[in-house]
This record gives sequence, C-alpha cells and structure tokens, in this order.
Amino acid sequence: MSTAATLDRPRLRRNPVVRALLSTWGARLTSYVAFLVAWQLLAWYVDRVPEPWETFDFIWREISGGSHGGVRPGEFWEHFSATLGRFSIGLSIGFVVGTVLGIALGSSMFLRALLSDMLLVLLALPAIIWAFLTTMWFGLGWEAPVYTVILSAAPFVAVNVAQGVRSVSPDLHRMSEAYGVPRNRRMRSLLLPAVTGYLFTGLRFGVIISWNAVLLAEWFGAVDGVGWRARLWYDAARYRGFLGWAIIFIAFIFLLDGLVLSPLQRRAFRWRKSAAADVETEGLGGFDAEELSTMGL
Amino acid sequence: MATLQITNLTKSFPAHSKGGQPTRAIQGISFEMSGQVFVSLVGPSGCGKSTLLNIVSGVDTPSSGTVAVTQDSQKAKLGYVFQDPRLLPWRTVMQNMLYVTDLSEEEGRVNARRYLEMVGLDHAEDMFPGQLSGGMQQRVGIARAFSVDPDLLLMDEPFSHLDAITARSLREELQSMWNATKKTVLFVTHDVMEAVQLSDRIITLAHGGTVFDDVAVDLPFPRKASDPDFATHQAEILARFETMEAERAEKAG
Repeated sequence: MSTAATLDRPRLRRNPVVRALLSTWGARLTSYVAFLVAWQLLAWYVDRVPEPWETFDFIWREISGGSHGGVRPGEFWEHFSATLGRFSIGLSIGFVVGTVLGIALGSSMFLRALLSDMLLVLLALPAIIWAFLTTMWFGLGWEAPVYTVILSAAPFVAVNVAQGVRSVSPDLHRMSEAYGVPRNRRMRSLLLPAVTGYLFTGLRFGVIISWNAVLLAEWFGAVDGVGWRARLWYDAARYRGFLGWAIIFIAFIFLLDGLVLSPLQRRAFRWRKSAAADVETEGLGGFDAEELSTMGL
Repeated sequence: MATLQITNLTKSFPAHSKGGQPTRAIQGISFEMSGQVFVSLVGPSGCGKSTLLNIVSGVDTPSSGTVAVTQDSQKAKLGYVFQDPRLLPWRTVMQNMLYVTDLSEEEGRVNARRYLEMVGLDHAEDMFPGQLSGGMQQRVGIARAFSVDPDLLLMDEPFSHLDAITARSLREELQSMWNATKKTVLFVTHDVMEAVQLSDRIITLAHGGTVFDDVAVDLPFPRKASDPDFATHQAEILARFETMEAERAEKAG
C-alpha cells in the first residue's frame, strides 16, 4: 500500500489544480478564501458582525458616491484626499527630519550619547498619545494629524538611518581615503547607497506607523478625513460602515506597499545577487529578519 | 619620477589592557626607493608590512619617523590594491572605476576602458561586483589602481585570498601591466616565490618590524619558477630568513 501511495504522489503533483494550490499565489488565495469563510461563519452566529457581502456593498456605495445614509456623491474622495494630503505632508517632513537626524546620529558618537535615550522614549511612545497631545495643542483641524505623523514617523526613520550609517564598511572608508575621493562623492556613492536598505526599512515602518497615526489623530482631532469618517459610523453604531472603512485603511497600505514601495526597493537593490529572491518573499508584512528584529519581533 | 623615502619609522599600538605594554608593529625602519622599480616587502605575518603600507598611504599615522612620497618634488599621487577588492557593491564596474578618478566623466570612461581591457574585463563594465568571481573583482581592483595613473602604486598582498591558479594568472597580468606602465610599485607579500617573480628588489622584514634583508633581483622578465636562477634566488632569500629565525629562537632561549 505504501508503495502505491508513494507512486501516486508525483502524479498528484502533476495535476495543474494541485500545483496551482501549492504555489505561492495559491497559498495566498487560500488564506483569503479561508478568512472570508471564517468571517461569514462568524457573521451567521454573531449579530454584531456584519456579513462580508454587506460590508463590501457598503464600501462600493461609499466609493461610488451612492445615496447611502443620505450621503452626497463624492463623499469618499473628499475624506480620502484630505487624509492622503495630511499623510503625505507629515510623512515627507518626518522622512526628511528622520534622515537628517539619522545621518547625524550615525556619524557622531557625541550626538548618539546625547540623543539615543530621547529617541528610545519617542519610539516607545504610542501614536495615540501624540494624537491626544496634538489635538490638545492645536485643536480640531489639519495640524493635529500632520504633527502626529511627523512625530510618529521621524524616530523610526532616524533609528534605521543611523544604523545604516554605522554599518558602512570601514574598509570602504579606508579605500576612499587612500584614493583621496572627495567628500561629496563619498556621500553620494558610498554613504547614501549603503544607507538605502535601512532607509527603506525606515520608510516602510514610517508609512505603516504614519497611516495608523493619521487615522487616530483624525478620529480625535479632525472634522473630516478617513479617521473622522470611520468614527462617524462607529458613533452611529453602523458596524458595516466602521468595518468597511477599516478595510479601506488596510487596502490602501497593501496597495502602497505592493505597487510603490516594493518595486522601489527591488530597483534600489538590483545590485544584490539575491535581491530577486529577497523581494519575492516580501509583500505587506514581508519584512526580512533584520527588519523584524528592529521592530523587536 | 616618484620617490618614497622612509626614515627611522616606528609605529606602536596602545596596550589592550590597563598596565599592559604597547605593541610595537614597526621599529625604526628606513629605506628609499625611486623611479621605475617594483619593490617587494616580504616577511612573516605580523611583522608590520600592512601597517607600513597604511602609513605610506596616509590611512594611518606613524608614532615617530618620517615618510615622504614625492613626484618631482611635488606630492605624489597614490594607487592602492588591497587584500580584498574593496569595490562598492552597489556600483557597476565602470562606476567603481569612476569613483576614484579625477578626470571628467567622459575622459574617465575612456581611461577606465583602457585599463579594464588590460585586465580582460572590458566586457564587464556594466556588471555589479556581486556578479563577478573573486579573481575578476581583484582584476577590477588592479585596473582601478592603475587607472588613476599613480606615481606610487601600493599593493597589499593582492593575491593572498585567491586560489593558486587564479593568483598565478593575475601575477602574469600584473607583470605585463607593469611592463607597459613602469609605475613605482611597493608590493607587500608573504610569498617569497611571488616576490622573486615580480620584483626588482626585495626587502625582508623580520618579526618585530625591522628590516632584515634588502636584495636586488637581477633576473630577466618574464620569470618562470622552473628557471634554475629563479630557484636559486628564492632559496637564498629563504635560507637567510631561516638563519635569522633560528638566531632569534636561540636568543629567545
């Protein structure tokens, strides 16, 4: 019997359906389907969990600007673009501030000694604290979400860039010194490319943390935006509305990571022989071991 | 014509622990080399060969003594080939060549191609170092050093990390490049055979960082290890070194 089973196995693997299911994409698809089935089952047994189709129908109506709940057309894009603007401005400033701070920290032992404990405090501070504080400082408006994003993203970028600066091989520094390579060329061709990997890790952390931060800040400190809209449905106890917006948050991060950050990272690392294999395994949450250890996981 | 003048050079490294003795890597070395010569610095591991090269290149500073590298009374331009290739992994071969050049981009490319051709890598200019074998990477390192048109070329055991066959072929390439350019070369190695094959002059350092021997190698190029004169030179240098080591062991008790 065992011989027959052994002989059958390769034949089973040649089956195109089985092969598709065992592929990376098949495994991903299976996880989505399993999630939807579990959600549907939960919705059948728990009153307060809306069904998947109801939720997706809500998302579609919200996006296509239907008459849902008396909402006027274009409501989704108005809120989404408001959030996207705050997110982009905050992240850009946080990224620049974090990069400059990171290069300074990585290059100077004195600055590291001076600021590393402060930076640890900032890293440990949850985004919700910044959301509360900035709302108390600036009141309801665009300032609270933008400052929350800057304050949440910058420390993560700074820590990663500082680690990148310190990781530059001393041998390459010595080589540059022996050849008398000018300082600006060293910065452009040695330091920045060496830091790129850490910069991307910082940017990906920054994006995820900033997106959470902007939503939290809008929840408490804005009168429009995605976070405010989610709160509207939450306050009205409309579960599918709240859950629908949660799915929109997640979908945005998925798209941003898959369509922008991963291709950029792949391009920046095309010099690495194993780059293709590294990036292949990455999607949302597909951080490598080094990135996960930076997150403390 | 480049001149390297080393006078009474000493280098000590601080003690590892409190109350310990500082380590003396070099003790009062003096020698001079000038013109179109290929000089090898031979000696056992830890005798201060690489430290000396680092001081000559300006990467390290001496504890006492002086090092002067001059080119017609001006400060000379240096080229450096390291034990490992030390290429920027995120830059292509051509970009690595351009990284160290003083020339404009266009001139630099023409110049780099000339030297890459000499080491047989003109087809690899758009490749990244990670796509090349260790031997090919070291060839790029050599081409890079020659491409800056150095007045003095420093080479720190450039073939020690390569397999014997690749090292042999690179030695032959280096020899033909040197014949074509006649640069002033200071070449560090622990391999006496390599030194005899490539050099006009061999300076042997002893343990403790002192000059033990300084001999001219008067053999025609290209040199073959199978040539009896080659073997005689090699044997003489080794015999003198072994005698010195035996005396040192006797003194040490």
